[in-house]
Amino acid sequence: MTRTGIISPTRFPSFKSQRCSGGDASFMEQLLLHCATAIDSNDAALAHQLLWVLNNIAPPDADSSTQRLTSAFVRALLSRAASKIPALFSTVFGNSFFQPPPADEIHRFSVVDLAGFIDLTPWHRFGFIAANEAIITAVEGYSTVHIVDLSLTHCMQIPTLIDAMASKLNTPPLLKLTVVSSPSSFPPLINISYEELGSKLVNFATTRNIEMQFTIIPSTYSDGFSSLLQHLRIYSTSYNEALVVNCHMMLRYIPDETLTPLSLRNVFLNQLRSLNPTIVTLIEEDADLTSENLVARVRSAFNYFWIPFDTTDTFVSEQRRLYEAEVIWKIENVVAKEGVERVERTETKGRWLERMRDNEFGGVRVSEEAVSELKAMLGEHAVGWGMKKDDDDESLVLTWKGHSVVFATVWVPI
Amino acid sequence: MAPVELENSSTVSGDASGVSSTGNLNPPPKKKRNLPGMPDPGAEVIALSPKTLMATNRFVCEICNKGFQRDQNLQLHRRGHNLPWKLRQRSAKDAVRKKVYVCPVSACVHHDPSRALGDLTGIKKHFCRKHGEKKYKCDKCSKKYAVHSDWKAHSKICGTKEYRCDCGTLFSRKDSFITHRAFCDVLAEESAKNQTNKLYPQPELKSPPAAAAPLTPPNVSAETEPVKIASPSVRSSSESPNPLEVIMEEAPRTIGFNVSSSVISDDDRSGNNNCTPRTIGFNVTSSGLSGDHTSNNNNNNGIYAGLFSSSTSSPSLYASSTPSTSLFAPPSSSMEPISLCLSTNPSLYVGPTTIQDPHPPPHFLTPLSLPPPQPAMSATALLQKAAQMGSTGSGGSLLRGLGIVSSTSSSMELSSHDLGLGLLPPCSSGGSGGSGLKELMMGNSCVFGPKQTTLDFLGLGRAVGNGSSNPVGGGLSALLTSIGGGGGMDVFGTAGEFPGKDIGRSL
Repeated sequence: MTRTGIISPTRFPSFKSQRCSGGDASFMEQLLLHCATAIDSNDAALAHQLLWVLNNIAPPDADSSTQRLTSAFVRALLSRAASKIPALFSTVFGNSFFQPPPADEIHRFSVVDLAGFIDLTPWHRFGFIAANEAIITAVEGYSTVHIVDLSLTHCMQIPTLIDAMASKLNTPPLLKLTVVSSPSSFPPLINISYEELGSKLVNFATTRNIEMQFTIIPSTYSDGFSSLLQHLRIYSTSYNEALVVNCHMMLRYIPDETLTPLSLRNVFLNQLRSLNPTIVTLIEEDADLTSENLVARVRSAFNYFWIPFDTTDTFVSEQRRLYEAEVIWKIENVVAKEGVERVERTETKGRWLERMRDNEFGGVRVSEEAVSELKAMLGEHAVGWGMKKDDDDESLVLTWKGHSVVFATVWVPI
Repeated sequence: MAPVELENSSTVSGDASGVSSTGNLNPPPKKKRNLPGMPDPGAEVIALSPKTLMATNRFVCEICNKGFQRDQNLQLHRRGHNLPWKLRQRSAKDAVRKKVYVCPVSACVHHDPSRALGDLTGIKKHFCRKHGEKKYKCDKCSKKYAVHSDWKAHSKICGTKEYRCDCGTLFSRKDSFITHRAFCDVLAEESAKNQTNKLYPQPELKSPPAAAAPLTPPNVSAETEPVKIASPSVRSSSESPNPLEVIMEEAPRTIGFNVSSSVISDDDRSGNNNCTPRTIGFNVTSSGLSGDHTSNNNNNNGIYAGLFSSSTSSPSLYASSTPSTSLFAPPSSSMEPISLCLSTNPSLYVGPTTIQDPHPPPHFLTPLSLPPPQPAMSATALLQKAAQMGSTGSGGSLLRGLGIVSSTSSSMELSSHDLGLGLLPPCSSGGSGGSGLKELMMGNSCVFGPKQTTLDFLGLGRAVGNGSSNPVGGGLSALLTSIGGGGGMDVFGTAGEFPGKDIGRSL
């Protein structure tokens, strides 16, 4: 807290933080929504009042995940209020100087640490397993496999894919891996360049007797990866080369209709379709954080981000701190930022499926082996993790205590 | 069709019951488990000396002086003495009273009676673990244990289905292991050792400044491509298509070392390192060992820095004499386009599954389980409701524990500046447009004082302390007062409520 110039909190003796029962979540949500409404309508006094209450009932280091979740929202609302309601500034802080936390404070992981971090929960591994299974099945027989990895996790899916290629394919192909230059705008971040990352991967592929090339294309989500698509268009594929496009929680950063009238997401998918890829995997979080209405967005975000907070109850404190820091960043982005700064524009599974179908992709069911492997993997994590399979749309959904978390889908051109 | 739930039905919980800070073991299933930090107030606290605690035969038969480890065993034994039934019965007092045990070590947290453990076996194990000598050693790894059962439990799983990286980290899952291994420095070091023996002399490789030679020190990465997005088409016009394609099409693809013609990188220097897609063509078997290919390879996919040889584990792979067909089929063979089998491969189709969902989604989090939302309440109404809940002491959560709204003023210490985020308490004089606030204030004074002043939430003095005496307007201010005050009391409820995290886990 001190980094922002905010006075460090002094524990107020009466607030024992561990007794928050489940019903409080509803109460806190109501307070948050009222606060968001107050901020939206420039009601500084009411916003102040609510922030004050919320701040006291939800300490950031509380034992209860609901309180920590609420605290993250309070931070975000405060950040928003300070910029949107100047009147609030002086009433809230008197003479102290409030600065929103600088964006460049996102923790940078070493790749080894990131590898461990992404496996703390099935959040990413779920999509990795589903996608890799589909990819391996689809590329059997091709002598070259060109994978375009658009992933939030900085290629963390690739080692197991390489291993699967080495062990499951009859004839291990030449592997070409293309990524886009590392975005530094959102977590998680790594502390090495993509060149180094790529060299490690190629090195690893060598040990598995897979020949590999690694290419970095300068391209950015903010224009829908247009330079990447352009590169792919002019890039002549070899004979018998498969094109695999793996989208793991990255497409959500492409501006959608709520940001630009021209939907860059649809443009991206359309151009992708015209490349006639062999297979496209799409893994995303199943939530709607795109609403232009702040209150609606806060409600959606609260009813989604409680999940990562809930899953960290069994972590050791350092892991939990890092894990939650990432979620806190996202909450702040969703609640406090607008325009191009608000990059976290997650859409629901239904919406993504609609987009894919509109752009002439057809869904493919994931194999039974993949499903068994997923179940086995989930069995090794906390009891709350589960999955469901929707026969209507061939999707697999990771669930936490029954609530949808992440969906995994596989597509081919039709 | 409704989605089917495939819930993880494993009984092994990731959130082990040992999370609680008392270190309490699971007591016998029938006994009701006390919440951590809240022992049964009527329990009898038993303090045993270390000797007695660890004595194996604490329970002694009064008739024959035989000792037993457990009370149950003693009782069984006593039956054998054929005592008259009256004497056989245990006294009612003994049977009912719960016993809790403290640790004899005075510095230990469990020495305090309020942190006593309810189970004798538990306190024994605790004493051994924390204060005892580790006498048992696992023979597979070097772990040592003081408690015999801990040691046995570990030995069962030690070495079974575990993956160990050379760096020493252990993994229980293969995919975590593989992912780690790919990025582990140990692997890089191994390859570094190998490559220096076999390849081109270093100066050649290093001369292109942006060779992106990954084994050179990281400061090379200072040469990273500029942030600006360049259009690759600038370069493509003058160059032939993808060099790899060239490789592919040409006949016999001899497999040399996994070094692409690094010689070409010299030619490449002409400003090719910026603004283009950068390919690091590791272990590209360049048929580029022959001179012809250099010009072809020297294309917009610029920087080849194939520095890696095979790892020591498979040196033969890259000798040209090995059956290269294992890696690459010569272009002329088996190159028929393989139709995408997805539509015909039966393994991709999954029949309808009917798997019962053993765990219906819990309803612990009310926003999600109440699809018809409660009637939207205004903020004031909400706070009033909370206040009512607080004052009646029923249901509710936030203010239940307070009950007494008119908390004694002396306990209503409220520093004006140290409230978490440094928020000052709202004050009517400072607020603008806060229509509701004025009504809520009991008086019109607003006191922001030095920290020793007793303030309530509204920044008022003690006059507002007796908020409960004014039921109407006092509802909200009472609420606000009680949030600010109530020193020493739990805001969220009295003892007896489960901590929030337990609620969430009751699947």
